[in-house]
Amino acid sequence: MLRRMSAVLPLRPLSRLPLCSGGPEALAAAVVLLGASPGAVRFFSLMHLSRTQNNIQRYFGTNSVIYNKKDEQSVPTHEISKETESQDSVKENTKKDLLNIIKGMKVELSTVNVQTTKPPNRRQLRSLEATVGRLQRAPEDAPKKRSESLSPELVAAASAVADSLPFDKQTTKSELLRQLRQHEEDSRAQKEGERPKISFSNIISDMKVAKSATARVSTRPVHQIQFDEGSDDYGGQEKTADLRKSLRKNIFKGKRLNIFDLKAITEEAPEAETAPSLWDVEFAKQLAAVNEQPFQNGFEEMIQWTKEGKLWEFPINNEAGFDDDGSEFYEHVFLDKYLEDFPKQGPIRHFMELVTCGLSKNPYLSVKQKVEHIEWFKNYFNEKRDILKDSNIHFN
Amino acid sequence: MAAAASARWLRIRCRLCLPLKSRRADPCEQAPSCRAFIFCRFYSESAALPNVEGADVTGIEEVIIPKRKTWDKVAVLQALASTVNRDTTAAPYAFQDDPYLIPASSLESRSFLLAKKSGENAAKFIINSHPKYFQKDIAEPHIPCLMPEYFEPQIEDISEAALKERIKLRKVKASVDMFDQLLQAGTTVSLETTNGLLDLLCYYGDQEPSADYHFQQREQSEESEEATEENNEKSRKKAGPQLGVTWRAKNNAERIFALMPEKNAHSYCTMIRGMVKHRAPVQALNLYTELLNNRLRADVYTFNAVIEAKALMVNEKFEEKWNNILELLKQMVAQKVKPNLQTFNTILKCLRRFYAFGRLPALQTLREMKAIGIEPSLATYHYIIQLFYQQESSAKGSPLIIYDIMNEVMGKKFSPKDPDDDAFFQSAMRVCSSLRDLELAYQVHGLLNTGDNWKFIGPDNRRNFYYSRFFSLLCLMEQIDVTLKWYKDLIPSVFFPHSQTLIDLLQALDVANRLELIPQIWKDSKEYGHTYRSDLKEEILMLMARDQHPPELQVAFADCAADIKSTYENQDARQTVPDWPANPLNYIAVLFLRAGRTQEAWKMLELFRKHNKIPRNELLNEFMDSAKASSSPDQAMEVVKLASAFSLPICESLTRRVMADFAVSQEQKEALGNLTALTSDSDSDSDSDISEGK
Repeated sequence: MLRRMSAVLPLRPLSRLPLCSGGPEALAAAVVLLGASPGAVRFFSLMHLSRTQNNIQRYFGTNSVIYNKKDEQSVPTHEISKETESQDSVKENTKKDLLNIIKGMKVELSTVNVQTTKPPNRRQLRSLEATVGRLQRAPEDAPKKRSESLSPELVAAASAVADSLPFDKQTTKSELLRQLRQHEEDSRAQKEGERPKISFSNIISDMKVAKSATARVSTRPVHQIQFDEGSDDYGGQEKTADLRKSLRKNIFKGKRLNIFDLKAITEEAPEAETAPSLWDVEFAKQLAAVNEQPFQNGFEEMIQWTKEGKLWEFPINNEAGFDDDGSEFYEHVFLDKYLEDFPKQGPIRHFMELVTCGLSKNPYLSVKQKVEHIEWFKNYFNEKRDILKDSNIHFN
Repeated sequence: MAAAASARWLRIRCRLCLPLKSRRADPCEQAPSCRAFIFCRFYSESAALPNVEGADVTGIEEVIIPKRKTWDKVAVLQALASTVNRDTTAAPYAFQDDPYLIPASSLESRSFLLAKKSGENAAKFIINSHPKYFQKDIAEPHIPCLMPEYFEPQIEDISEAALKERIKLRKVKASVDMFDQLLQAGTTVSLETTNGLLDLLCYYGDQEPSADYHFQQREQSEESEEATEENNEKSRKKAGPQLGVTWRAKNNAERIFALMPEKNAHSYCTMIRGMVKHRAPVQALNLYTELLNNRLRADVYTFNAVIEAKALMVNEKFEEKWNNILELLKQMVAQKVKPNLQTFNTILKCLRRFYAFGRLPALQTLREMKAIGIEPSLATYHYIIQLFYQQESSAKGSPLIIYDIMNEVMGKKFSPKDPDDDAFFQSAMRVCSSLRDLELAYQVHGLLNTGDNWKFIGPDNRRNFYYSRFFSLLCLMEQIDVTLKWYKDLIPSVFFPHSQTLIDLLQALDVANRLELIPQIWKDSKEYGHTYRSDLKEEILMLMARDQHPPELQVAFADCAADIKSTYENQDARQTVPDWPANPLNYIAVLFLRAGRTQEAWKMLELFRKHNKIPRNELLNEFMDSAKASSSPDQAMEVVKLASAFSLPICESLTRRVMADFAVSQEQKEALGNLTALTSDSDSDSDSDISEGK
């Protein structure tokens, strides 16, 4: 057995293999440090470190592509406070002051509209969306609310403004009034901390809008945010609404196709066992290729060689590849039990002991062959019983 | 009993403590005797034996002999392999052959791998095409994979066995010929064998399979992947010879199929799959109807193929296609065919081409999968991501999806289930980068490092894409120290940076005010094969030259600048069009001046003249400063001359400075007066002036 192994060994250059990428020290480490490995520890601490730090620093940078979150947050706050301030002052001011303020506010409002396309602080976003939402709803609400909220002075002032402008007077006036009302409602809503329960703004507020640089320049109002940026006209208005609804929640919860039935799927159908076709074989090959990566270290290469049968199998065992019907070594060595049918003493016994001794040292015969060998002698002596009797030797 | 037990115990001891070498070194004369005897004899010399006997005597109760444990043949190696971590200072293991050959750039690494693989293939090809010269079995025990494989059919006569053999060897043409000969001889071929033949014909589209050299095939399939990502039917047709195989009407498969006296479901199914695979959706659908008319049942793979065929149909609206697919799914239910992962992945793959229309159906499909307990694979998520983030610019459309997906897959370990599984990480990182969400990128990277998931990163180009995106994001968003740690960790042991990646890093260094690292980065970029990237070099020079720095740093910068200058000069030697862009000239001159390497700086000034590039005003001023520092009116004169040669407006103020700051001789004064008067001096004149000055 040993000779056999040493004969093969030169073909399998075990010791010359570069066992792992780190050279001899790494090999030693690999063998000794079965538990914690320094590389892994380092990596994780690195990950940890970077996580704690990125909260502070991640938006830091002067690169023009980075958009600065801090700025983003501060601007709307500033504007809103201005709005509310001006709202208060509106009530006491004279006609003339009002004119200026209204003009200023109009500009501000439009900038606000632009900015809501980005995600500032969520609470502010909500109120801003409410603003925009009202913009849409205002026409329906107008008759009901016209009388209740705005003071007559304001209305008068607004009509004065409308008169001074060269456009359609009625529209200008109603627009102005509408905006005033919104401001008032806004400030009231903010005071009470009440969140307007408009489904639309709920949808929007649950959405996270991409922080891309292009969002900044986009002048599209919030209510037109589209899911369908692609080149399609297929999904109509209805479809997008559906999509939005399903996006609001986890993507894994919601309407499904409802075609397949869980019961029907899970129940075991008797599968006709057939030999894998060419299609199956090729698909399996494709799958195996998916996560095929170059070897990371020498051991992996050795694993591959072992699987291909090029390498002596580990743990090194001088019985490897020696198929002996699973018989153990003692069955090879202790053959005395097969001598029970032979005489306890005398020349035959002596002879048979020599035979078993020889057999027990023979590595080339299987256990079965050894037993057969002993059997042969047993039969032989049985056949020659007469001769043996003549020469005064008892066999059984 | 006791003897047996002790012998066994000895054997176990032997296994544990006998070093490999001693076993090997054991004299060979022992070999013929029994194995156990070797162990006993070996041990009888040592002190171990008396101990064993003592234990046997004192311990009256039975000794419990531990059960022998059988290990997998690779268990030891797997345990060892798991202890080896990536060495961040070394090249990947695959490249460790000859130190001279270790690649330093992505291009080199690619050619390294290709060369290695093609060498293997060439050897295999030689062995397999001349098996008679490779008959000597050198290994004992026999190693089958080292012996030549037989690709030539061995059975010569005309029989079904010969046909089977040819099918097994994937000889398309030979099998068809054999089949025809059998038919002519009047022998009927069994249904099973005919189906096998159909499988072969349909899989390869009635073409001889290209030699099965794995590496090449993968390259091709990648190209085709790029093509499909562009959603272009036309470009798909062009891509790759293997994919170029289209289903020809009346090919051998159709002919044999028509000849078959009896057909079973398998015959139909394999035909349909073959037609879809080779892009003949109309024929496939017709055949599917025929199959239904014959009251046969399609299997799930065929349904998957038919779904694909429905989506491939041209001249149909997306809505129509989608309804057709739904119809097919209902038929599956009716025929009690269980869908599998591929069914849903095929649907999602097709929905990708529906643009925004596909989004809602895709989500419903995903939920359906989940509801009936089919676990999505990485490819499933890849398709969803592709559908929702088709262009980078439109990524703002539905940013929630990726977060949901990441929440779902976090911490999971995946096994390959779909051929597209290896595309997920690339597309996820693409989305992270377009959303500029570092947190998300860390999540994706964490998932990549969970278990064996890293194996799904895909081939070389995907890995490079993933890591360059990841690293660029780090440069953009992460603190510089952390970024540098990643830099050391990832480069070059994981990937070789693109020049744009290095520019990103430089910008990050600029932002964090860590410019002192630039010379190191330049050294690295030279190593990674970016020596001749002018945009990178210009960026480096610009960052170094922009501000004043402490003297020692200036010296380092000047060294770096000199190095870069030499690359420009070498480039001149390599190419016939020697061209010095103006900016690097300016920067290098400034860097030399600031580091006090005046001589070289003045030489740079000559280069301006030689290449007819205009120096900047600041540069001329700095030259004037340097002339003043060395109080050399000649040098100052030269600066003025150069300025006037290019008829620069700064010429006048420089003249004034010379007059004011230097002790100018009368002659020089006159010359100055001339210069300012004739600002449009010709080049040749000023050239001669300079040579006189010298």
